[in-house]
Amino acid sequence: MSIAPLSPGQLDALKEISNIGMGHAATALSQLIGETVYLRVPRVTLTDISRVPELLGGAETVVAGITLQILGAARGNILLIFPRASAQQLLARLLHSQEEELLLSELGASTIKEVGNILASAYLNAMGSLLHLTLIPSVPQLACDMAGAVVDFVLIELSQTGELALMVETEFHGTDPRQETIKGHFFLLPDPASLHLILDAVGEC
Amino acid sequence: MTARIHIGISEYQLAEPPAVLVTYGLGSCLAIALYDPARRLGTMAHTLLPTIRVVAASTRPAKYVDAAIDLMLGELTARGSDRRRLVAKIFGGANMFEPLLGGGSENSVGTRNIRSAREALATVGIPLVAEDVGGNFGRTVEFDLTSGTILVRAVRGREGEMTF
Repeated sequence: MSIAPLSPGQLDALKEISNIGMGHAATALSQLIGETVYLRVPRVTLTDISRVPELLGGAETVVAGITLQILGAARGNILLIFPRASAQQLLARLLHSQEEELLLSELGASTIKEVGNILASAYLNAMGSLLHLTLIPSVPQLACDMAGAVVDFVLIELSQTGELALMVETEFHGTDPRQETIKGHFFLLPDPASLHLILDAVGEC
Repeated sequence: MTARIHIGISEYQLAEPPAVLVTYGLGSCLAIALYDPARRLGTMAHTLLPTIRVVAASTRPAKYVDAAIDLMLGELTARGSDRRRLVAKIFGGANMFEPLLGGGSENSVGTRNIRSAREALATVGIPLVAEDVGGNFGRTVEFDLTSGTILVRAVRGREGEMTF
């Protein structure tokens, strides 16, 4: 099954679901770091698979990428992409550490995976209870490398069924003016079959 | 100025000097380069999947390792290259993440891509003269058609540049 173009109503529905899911995730994050976290209006992009790395900021840009599979009633992937500096900043605050390259330490890696887990769980919980679907995140996996390399296995999975990827993207950022801004991108990439399931569930809401 | 030609996912390009063929951020994907040193004609593909499935004949054969090799070989010979002169190099096929359920990486898509490329090249009789594959880090590949050499850049696991 491949991804067909969506109607404006369906696009709006996806944006709204993502907004609610991300709202919960942002609350969780703001409690973690002790400052307000702002969200951009979600962007839904139906794009050629080959363009995905570009949309993540360029295939060669070094990022911290956390990926989780969505298990349960609907399948897909969640990608959480932090620019390298933001990941460092986030870890420095969470771990109260001044060390450099925290991402490369075992503690840093496991902390950022846990952040991914908390955000994804909050997102999926909100989305699941809204749509009456059971959505469970898998164990998070982390890679700190070129964006293209971090995401290509997700694209490989998608490419088995077609040439298109649907991405629901939400950008979030912190606000504390005394500190460097933490920025991140949250992506939902549903499998084609699950996208229909999600849209059907939206229709019934 | 040197022309840098970018190869996206599931694409391939054919070029001659002074061009440089570039593909960025390979993880499990595999870059396959074929070169005719005598004519200094080369081609490179950025492939995702090990083998083409007959049932799902894709609009983009360069997505598949085996189909991309056939396609590139066809282009080179159509341009007058003698296939006996051709050499091949492959890059990428990493396993960026630990397998979730434990076990080895023998069946990860990266490893299968590498295996498929070696088999397909052996079938068409093109010697694989260099490779930089596997590991758990990303690679950017630059194929200089003038010298026939390939520069591989990594930022993790093995930092810096290496030439093949």
